[in-house]
Amino acid sequence: MKRNIFHIGALMLMFTCIVLSACMDDHDAPDVSNYSVTKQTSVGDTTISIHNFKDKYASVFTQNNAFVLIEEDEIVEGVVVANDKGGNLYQTVMLAEYNATYDMVDPSRAIVLAVKNTCLYPYFPYGQMVRVNLKGLYVGCYSKLPKIGQPYFTSSNNLRLGPMLFELCQTNIYLVGNPSDYTNKIKPFELPDDSHAMFHDKSYQNYKNAPMLVTVTGKFVLGDDETIFAPDELKDAGMGVDREFKIGSTIITVRTSTQNDVSFLKMPKGTVRLTGMMSFYDGWQLQLRSVDDMEIISE
Amino acid sequence: MSKCLKLVAILLCVSGATSAQVVVDTLQSDNYDFTFTESQLDDDNDASQTVSNISSSNNDPYLGEVGYRFSPMRFKVRAYDNMYEQTYINGLLLNDVETGRFQYSMIGGMNDATRNSEAVTGFEYNTFGLTPIGGGSNINTRASVFAEGHKFTLSGTNRNYVLRGMYTYATGLMDNGWAFAATVGYRWAKEGVIKGTFYNSLSYLLSAEKQWGDHHSLSFVTFGSPTERAQQGASTEEAYWLANSHYYNPYWGYQNGKKRNSRVVKDFEPTAILTWDWKIDNSKKLTTSAGVKYSRYSSSALGWNGDAYDPRPDYYKNLPSSIFDVYDLENRNNPDFLQDNPYFLSQYNDLYNFWTSSEANRQINWDRMYYVNSVQNQNGDETLYYQERRHNNQLVFAFNSTFNHNIDINTKYSLGINLNHTTGMHYKTMDDLLGGEFYYDYDKFSANDYGKGSVANPTEAANDLRNPYKRIYKGDKFGYDYNINVNKAKAWGVIEHTNDIFDIMHGLYMEGTTIERDGKMQNGRAPQNSYGSSGTAKFIGGGGKLLMSLRPFANNLISLGLGWDTKAPLARNVFVAPRMQNNFVDNLHNEDIFSSELNWKFRFGSLTGKFTGFFTRFLNQVEQTAFYNDQENRFTYLTMTGISKEHYGLEGALVYEVNSRLSFNLIGTISDAKYIDNPYAQVNYEGMNSETNEQLNSWSNPVTGENMPLRVIMKDIKVGSTPLTAVSFGINYNINNWYLELNANYYDRVYVGYSAYRRLSNVLNNYTATGSVGGTPVFNIDDGSGRSSLQILAEDGGVLFDTNGNTVGSYSPSLEKYKGGFMLEASIGKSIRLRGGRAMSINLAIQNLTNNTNLRTGGFEQNRDDLYSTGVARSYKFSKNSKYYYANAINAFLNVTYRF
Repeated sequence: MKRNIFHIGALMLMFTCIVLSACMDDHDAPDVSNYSVTKQTSVGDTTISIHNFKDKYASVFTQNNAFVLIEEDEIVEGVVVANDKGGNLYQTVMLAEYNATYDMVDPSRAIVLAVKNTCLYPYFPYGQMVRVNLKGLYVGCYSKLPKIGQPYFTSSNNLRLGPMLFELCQTNIYLVGNPSDYTNKIKPFELPDDSHAMFHDKSYQNYKNAPMLVTVTGKFVLGDDETIFAPDELKDAGMGVDREFKIGSTIITVRTSTQNDVSFLKMPKGTVRLTGMMSFYDGWQLQLRSVDDMEIISE
Repeated sequence: MSKCLKLVAILLCVSGATSAQVVVDTLQSDNYDFTFTESQLDDDNDASQTVSNISSSNNDPYLGEVGYRFSPMRFKVRAYDNMYEQTYINGLLLNDVETGRFQYSMIGGMNDATRNSEAVTGFEYNTFGLTPIGGGSNINTRASVFAEGHKFTLSGTNRNYVLRGMYTYATGLMDNGWAFAATVGYRWAKEGVIKGTFYNSLSYLLSAEKQWGDHHSLSFVTFGSPTERAQQGASTEEAYWLANSHYYNPYWGYQNGKKRNSRVVKDFEPTAILTWDWKIDNSKKLTTSAGVKYSRYSSSALGWNGDAYDPRPDYYKNLPSSIFDVYDLENRNNPDFLQDNPYFLSQYNDLYNFWTSSEANRQINWDRMYYVNSVQNQNGDETLYYQERRHNNQLVFAFNSTFNHNIDINTKYSLGINLNHTTGMHYKTMDDLLGGEFYYDYDKFSANDYGKGSVANPTEAANDLRNPYKRIYKGDKFGYDYNINVNKAKAWGVIEHTNDIFDIMHGLYMEGTTIERDGKMQNGRAPQNSYGSSGTAKFIGGGGKLLMSLRPFANNLISLGLGWDTKAPLARNVFVAPRMQNNFVDNLHNEDIFSSELNWKFRFGSLTGKFTGFFTRFLNQVEQTAFYNDQENRFTYLTMTGISKEHYGLEGALVYEVNSRLSFNLIGTISDAKYIDNPYAQVNYEGMNSETNEQLNSWSNPVTGENMPLRVIMKDIKVGSTPLTAVSFGINYNINNWYLELNANYYDRVYVGYSAYRRLSNVLNNYTATGSVGGTPVFNIDDGSGRSSLQILAEDGGVLFDTNGNTVGSYSPSLEKYKGGFMLEASIGKSIRLRGGRAMSINLAIQNLTNNTNLRTGGFEQNRDDLYSTGVARSYKFSKNSKYYYANAINAFLNVTYRF
């Protein structure tokens, strides 16, 4: 009997030792302080400003839904002034030119960088200077919005300039410095009323001023403190809802994608200040970056 | 490490205590993992994993062989689900009442201790229970049946694990009436044959028995197999092609240069059984067992915030074929189109190069997830990526008592009762925040529909209105938390009478089942029917079977078996969306099974054999699939009710013994297993409220606009992931204690697992007749592909309506059939008797000698269709990109046993 107990005790001991050596699914957190989805070394020095680049390819940017392959090293850089953090911009990063003379980011000289990935904002945070070597990429207009990307078929089977492959960030994009270098140097273009010529003068209403980071002041035509920006049942083929926003006597469109935090904002009855990415189609269209882009001025 | 210590403490307690465990996975989406990975838990246990228990039956030359022979192809006898077979241990039925299946992992790694078993077919008389159509087995772990002495087994293999050690010691029945036996085993692989998988499993069994006189014995056994193992995922043929291997595993990625798997199963089901055997007299015996099992089963999976990019490496948008429709040779994939639109080929090549340039590129990018979460931390935001752990625990109390009486040499009967109370505990916890600091508990996908809400003003997105938007840290419960309570009681009896010419066996049973859900969270999408009790669904079932056998002349037996069962649906299938709410599915009834078989068993000289024809019809079945719906970005439940299926075919086995050393055998089956009707469907998105879900379940008549019951067009769809044709030719030779075996196996007619979602009547095209000729409706079906109407219907499916809105035909999309193929297996063994009663045996088994790496064992269609909501075709074709599993490449199993 003693011998049996010994054997069984020995078994239990063996088995305890084995269990102590178990747990194979333990992993240390990796050091990601230097992680980047973009190229770790430079893509080259900037060869052209965003503004000049758009002028250089004006023949493309003045068309609807046209695009062209960039076959040489055209290197532009811009600061991220809008991204998809609020969920209202999809696969979109808005880059605006940095003006060294004024040590400010110029919100009116910008272009959209479209990348095939959701939640781009951790990689392209607000204020980040981004340098893009356009060689091998396409530039053109999505409708009339100047954009960097690659062609694709939309869900309506239309050939359009869509987002570039995320994988190409590793070869074509380089991040310069830190976001904190520029965050304080971004100031949206203020449009408190409709007196600015861009609302009336057609020469302003083109690719040169689109996209633009602006702040506008006015009222929603349907503002009632109840109706939300973008109910799902009103979405169009582009998965968005257009709302009329009155600035003085001018009406612009506030376009909001469904199914994000901005879409559930209620349209206030009173005067509000909206900040966002403005572009020109048939008229001016504004897209808020996040819910923080709406400020109520009066009830 | 602290977890490990806890585990040890639990284990030590268990040896004398009451706990026990079960592997449960209530979600069918995970059953793909079950079917494949669970089936490989213990390679020399494959037979019992994928083939009926009856495969170990010595009475049947077919069923006794198919387990071993066909296990590499995950063969299921008669294409039956494993729920149609029962496993008892010491007379105690231990099938999981939620899933219906016995979880073999609970006895994994203790082969030497579970070798003593009695296995029977569905129509065989036995002394432990009235088994269902798939048969059953009773494993005897009483200490007195273990061979006295020590036994040490060491195994090496290149399968799921690489090393196995087992040690068994048994005292035998001692003079004082006591017997003790114990087994401890360990299976290990730092990396199994599939990349990124590991295996770490301990097993133990302790058995004690005391016999009093000739009449009474009390036996106690406790066992468990704490296991931690990483899984393999199925992938598309394109991903396999890009990885240049049919064994590509998308579940792992590098972290700090080490492989980390996202799907890790932790499984421990300590069980304790107390058995009283009362030999009343030489003809009567009463066996009573009571047991408890506390199952702790969990599996991890990646989770991500609704807007974050899908982190799965083989997510379809990462694949080259997502760029343009590579299957459309006429309009897209041709030189003219690609020359005119060079950007498509360029993007395709970029992705191809990305996939093929580095192994890390086609695996999970852990660093990226950690990086994203670190950015979130800097901004004070919640984690975007995390690893969750889905728990399916159970506490089971079971009781069986069986009375056996041999009235005379020709007549015997058995009576018994089975009781089972099971509480299934289902919840998920935060396993790893992947560098993030916290996570808010609300449904991120639902927030896109109803708004995020807040603590003060919660919306449907809240997972628990009683604790909305809770900050979740590592180890916290979140998402869902509910119990399923099941009670089962069954009384049965079986009697058999035999004589020289005619045998008859007849069995009857009656059972009652209650099922209840007890919600622990008040879900925002179902605030009135998620917290607390669902109420109890009650089912009364029963059935019987009859086997008549005739011996028309010597060594020939012809038998006919007939059976009828009506039984409760499985608890796992009866709730519309169990993770979210209490509602039972509509049209819930008992499931009915009619089974029959005709056997001819014979011996002519040296030739023995058996041929069987079988026919089984299932009626009113309920099946639920739960899956992440890429189409809608939502976790989806799809329940089918009123399912009718037929399984029928032929089985045969021939054994020719040339002499005592050499024999040849041929076994095979050809069968069919298919749906014979279009069942009702009920769809529920986890992220949507009842109002929206109601809309999902609508199917309007294209002519009258009238709302019709939603259906799944399933008629003639085959049961997948098992060969419906399998043939094996084998040679056995033995000489001087050497054993040689060579088997050549052929498999065919394996079908992919169907997607019910893609066959929903409101997902398929509905066609209306353009007119009629002689009263026959005429249809003009043209999708511009150049295919004929019949081709379109046969391949893509569709529902046809005449001009009055009557349904005049329905076609299910075709189901992919895999190519058949051969596999060669060999084994060689030697038994050596040593001095002093010691013995040693060595065996080497090699599977897939010809290294056929192209045999698909299973897989499943993706739950997504090929069209955008606009009706425009997507570039990526889900219908042509099912996910597959392949039979293992050449692999070996070396086993050395030493008895002393």
